This record gives sequence, structure tokens and C-alpha cells, in this order.
Amino acid sequence: MTGAPVGLIEPLAPPPFQRTWTGRDPASVVAMRAVELDDIVALPVRAIDPSLPLPIWSSDPTLGPTDDTAVRERARAALTRSDWSRISPGSTVDLIANPHGFFLCGDAYVAMLEETRDHLVATRGCTVRLRIAESMGHIENPDWMRIYDLPGRFGDAKECPQIGRGVEIDTRVGPFWLTRDLFTADHFVHTHVAEMREGYLHRMIDRLHKPFGMGYTRLETRSAYHFAWGPRTGQMVARAVFESDFVQERYAGTIVLDTTPEGVIGVDADLDLDALNGRITANVLRHYGTLMRLMAEIDDVIALFDGHGCHMYSYGGGIAFDCLMYAQVDFLDLDNLALLKGFASRLPDTPGLTLEFNPAIRAQVMNYMAGGVPYTMMTRRVPTFLVEGPAADWLIGDPCSPWLGDRAAIEASLPDAVAAARRTTGVDHVIVFDSTPGALHVSRALGEHLLARAPDVAAHVRDVALPKWLAQRGLG
Amino acid sequence: MVAEIIAERCTGCALCVYVCPTVALTLRDRRADEAGTHRRIVELAEPDCYNAQNCLEICPDEAIVMHPLTEPFTVGTDVASADADEIRALCMAAGVGSKQLICMCAETTGAELAAAILNGAHSPEALSLATGARTGCTELCHQPILQLLAAAGHGDAPRNPARGFQWYGIAATALGLLADGEVADDVREAFSHYPLDSDLRVLSGDFSEFAPKGGQP
Repeated sequence: MTGAPVGLIEPLAPPPFQRTWTGRDPASVVAMRAVELDDIVALPVRAIDPSLPLPIWSSDPTLGPTDDTAVRERARAALTRSDWSRISPGSTVDLIANPHGFFLCGDAYVAMLEETRDHLVATRGCTVRLRIAESMGHIENPDWMRIYDLPGRFGDAKECPQIGRGVEIDTRVGPFWLTRDLFTADHFVHTHVAEMREGYLHRMIDRLHKPFGMGYTRLETRSAYHFAWGPRTGQMVARAVFESDFVQERYAGTIVLDTTPEGVIGVDADLDLDALNGRITANVLRHYGTLMRLMAEIDDVIALFDGHGCHMYSYGGGIAFDCLMYAQVDFLDLDNLALLKGFASRLPDTPGLTLEFNPAIRAQVMNYMAGGVPYTMMTRRVPTFLVEGPAADWLIGDPCSPWLGDRAAIEASLPDAVAAARRTTGVDHVIVFDSTPGALHVSRALGEHLLARAPDVAAHVRDVALPKWLAQRGLG
Repeated sequence: MVAEIIAERCTGCALCVYVCPTVALTLRDRRADEAGTHRRIVELAEPDCYNAQNCLEICPDEAIVMHPLTEPFTVGTDVASADADEIRALCMAAGVGSKQLICMCAETTGAELAAAILNGAHSPEALSLATGARTGCTELCHQPILQLLAAAGHGDAPRNPARGFQWYGIAATALGLLADGEVADDVREAFSHYPLDSDLRVLSGDFSEFAPKGGQP
């Protein structure tokens, strides 16, 4: 899928289900994938935005190379350019990874981690350990340690959950708690995969700093980020933690995969996180902006979950469901307050200032979805349908959805569940979140609608929105 | 769902004890008739297990599994069980909205948490047992719960167990940056690319700058 724009095509093959770390095997219990439904087609992201750079790696062979050769070459070049002088010979270095990297970029992410380890060992004479910063959504995370044989490839590899022991640090704005096991080496290297997940929270301000306010932190810090900071200042937590003495005494550099919705387009590294963040932020806004704003063109839709990732962190076409969930507001425009209603103690009386769930989402169908992230408020608002079987039982038993069993209708099959959702809402449009990169799996009529709207949206983003987004972030 | 301890795998490391939000797990000596080789073993108080699954996640030995409950149960505190004015006052003192959803998983409001505190739940663990909050993702509701307890005079609740790390303390807040209504110059300078003053006004309940000219937004 390279070169000229294309229209609707046959569905792509969604990434296969993986066995979870709790031993669950969705592949053995899910009878039918969403792409097997009648009427589901693929809308290539490249048809929406023909200007996207070609991937150097994608999990889908129709989108780009699936071997990691180019990623390794780019990683070696980026590592060579970057300054690692903070690492002294004989020291220990924690290479901090995250589940999203494995989830979104798989082999490419592992290749970047391996190249980083090899470069640091060769050039700095240090010992490198792999530390994975666990996060919400852990309940049914695929078992990345086994899937990629991380202990075999990295030796000392460890998952560090956010519920683990903490360490209190002082920052310019007050105390926060970090996950202790991520910071026990002499130094650490920050790794990331740049994309648009949780944009309604980080607002693309200090994007690469975000794990310092979330993924690398304990429960206290994460909760404060959500509840105790403003709609455009939550990332101050991340910056304050990053700039703390505790972190700066250990920080040795950052390496990141630069992505588009199709896959990886580059590898970048820098000791200067602000400089790296500026480069990556500009790219992400350029490469995800049109697709993000196109979500606002959906007037009514049934969301169908059919992959790993829990609810707002389920992906389709390279973007997370949260991009649709809050699409009614351009939260990349910092002039918009976009105050998260669920996290505000005081609310304006007038509508429009708060970020509610997108009213275009009229129902949701869960064929397979991981647990671990709260979404029960959505089940209060819209009809929810499960498909009878173990996958539905797993969701009903998820600690984060204690009321799901009372609210969701259970249908005998996936076609029955979609039919029930259509019948209940009168809505025909379906959008699928099945982790497929590079193409939205949608019902044909919705695909045609989005294809028709794409040129105007792309022009608006190019001429109006993107220049404003960049200028607001000092990147114009 | 309810946890089950696999006796032969449990090493008595106690990590699960330290992370259980309802203190449903305790450590005791292993009985002679129990499988396993380590001297200590974890025991579960089943009625106090609210399916948080922190134990499952942190166990390094895969010694915990979850089973469906044979008799599901519902927990919660009736807001009407405490004085409405006291609930409002406590929520206001904590900076928490009484109707605000605090635990997104259990769907526990500020008012329900305040009522439980006024009824005698004076620690995060007691609050979880009384309301079910903190037993889903165990993450998002952390800060406002600690703020409510502190506002009620229970910010010094001892950890249970003493070496537990279910919670540490109250993290920094944006409104905490205000001293006499002003943010220190060095903080404002360090975060100059953030709309700090504007967000602080919003967090204080002042949305006037977002009102359009001539009337309603």
C-alpha cells in the first residue's frame, strides 16, 4: 500500500491474539473476528492522508517491511549521534521499556531496545538491565516477557508494576512517588513510542516527558496527575518529576520510535529531551492530525472492540479509541479548555467547556477486549453488548468493570451482537478497534462517508489546525 | 472473582499482603499438613477479597489464582446514612465534589466516601471495605481518597500492615502552588509554556475567561 491514494479495500488481517500473562488464550475462545462480518471494509489511512512518509517497519506486510533491518540501522545511527557520556564505565543502566511499545511496535521496539543495549555496553562499558514499567490495563496484557523471550534476550529483565514499592521524590512543585524498581541502577535510559494515545490528557505538551508523570510512577502520582492538575497542566507533573534532582542524577538519555498510523518511520535519540520532544511532537501532529480530526466527522457509530488493549486504549487504524471517545473537541487546540468532566470537582454550568464522551458513540460491542481500565461510565451511557463465552466472562470478572454484568446484554454470536446494537440504536455505522495498523476497519457506508470527508478535513488540518497546533507549542 | 492461594507455590514473601487494598491477606505459619516448603504462608480472608487482583499481579511465584464467586455480593455506603451538611463540608474541605465520581471502577462518589468516613472508616483500607473504592484499577481514586481522609483528620492513618505500600501520601497539587493567591515566580518561569494561571482559575471554579462575548458559551 504505497504511493497513490486508494479507496475502500478488503479488510486487512488483524494482528493475531496473544496469550496473556495470566494464561488466557483469546484465540481459542473467540469464534469470529470483526473483519469476518459482512459489510466490514478497510479504509486505508493513506487514502485519508497521502502525504504520510512510508514506514520502515510495520506489523502488516501490506504497509511496509516487517523485518527489523531498517529499524536497527536507524537505531544504530541515532545512538551514535546521541550523547551517552553520563554513563560511566562499570556502571549499571536500567533500560526502561513499557508495554505500549511491545503492543504497538512489537519486533521493532525489541530491536530498538537490543540495539540500545548493545551500543551502551560497547561504547560505555556498562551493564544494561531491562525494566518494564507496567501500567493500567495490566489485567490481560499479552505476556510480553514470553512472547519476545525478554529474559533470554536481555538476561536481567523485570516487570515493575505501579503497585510496587515506591520512592518519594521532591520536585519544584512538591512531592511525588515513583516506582522504586525502575530507578535502582546508577543510570536509566528512557524509551518511548511516539503516537497519539491519551492526547486528551497530555495535550501534546511535553509529550515525551509523560511517563515521568505516569508510567514510571506509583499510584499516588498517577492519581494526582488526573485529579489534582488542570486540563492543560497535567503534564507539569511529568516535567517536574523529570527535572527533579532524583531523576536528573540518574537520567542518561532517551531513544524513541517515531511512528505514523501505519508503523515506524524512524528512530531518534537525544540526551536533550526537550529537543527530542520538539522534533517528535511536530512529526506526530503532522502524521496523526488528519486522522484525529476525521474522527469528529463521525455522526453516529457503534464501536466494536476486537483486540488487545482495554477500551480507550484499544487501537484501530493506528489510533487509540480515546481519539474517537473525545473527538467532538479538538483537544490539540490549547485554546480549548476541554476540561475532563469526570476529573473535575467544580464544573461550569454551561456546556462545551467539559470533555464528555463523544455523543456520536451510540453503542459498543465487545467481541474481545482486555480489562484493567475503568470504562463503566460508558456502559451507563450507551447500550453495551458482549458475545457469549469466556471472553465475556473475563470482562465481567474484570475488577475495573464490576457493574458490567448488570448492564451489558449478552448475545449468542458476534453478528447477533452487532445486529442487536444496530436494532437498539437505529445506527448502521460500525468502527472496529482490532489493533490493525494503517487502515480503519469500518462498515462500508461509514467508510464511504469518511472517504468523502477526508479531503476537506486534510485541508483544514494542513491550512488551519496544524499551523495553530505547532505555533501553540513553539514549533511553528 | 475471589483469590485463592496455591499453598505449594507460596513462599511467604508477603508482597501480596503489602498491596492488598482491603487487607484481605495475612501471613501465618504454615501448618504441617499444608503443601509447600517455606515456613510462612499467606492466608486469605475471603469476605474481604474484593477482586482487586493486586496480589495476582505482584506475586513473583504464580501462587495466586482468581475464581468466580459462587455468591456475588455488593458493597457500598448509603449517602443518607450520614448528615448531608457534614458530607458537603467534608467534600469542600477536601476539594472534592460531592457528586464527583472518585472511583471510576466502583463508581463511588465523593459523597459516598465522605459518608463512609463520617461513619467511622478512618483509613484507606476501611474506606475500601465500606465502599468498594480502590479495588478496581486501584489507581485513579488514590489522591482524592487520601485528601478526604486528611480533611477529616485522618491523614495520619497507620499503614496496614506497617510495611505495606498500598499507599504512601498525598502528591503535589496545582492549587497547592498558590500562596496568597499567587504562584511563585520561579515556578511560573519554569513552566512558562503551560497555561498555569488559566488552569488554576478553572480549578478554583472560575470559568469566566471562557465565556464568549455577550453571554452564554
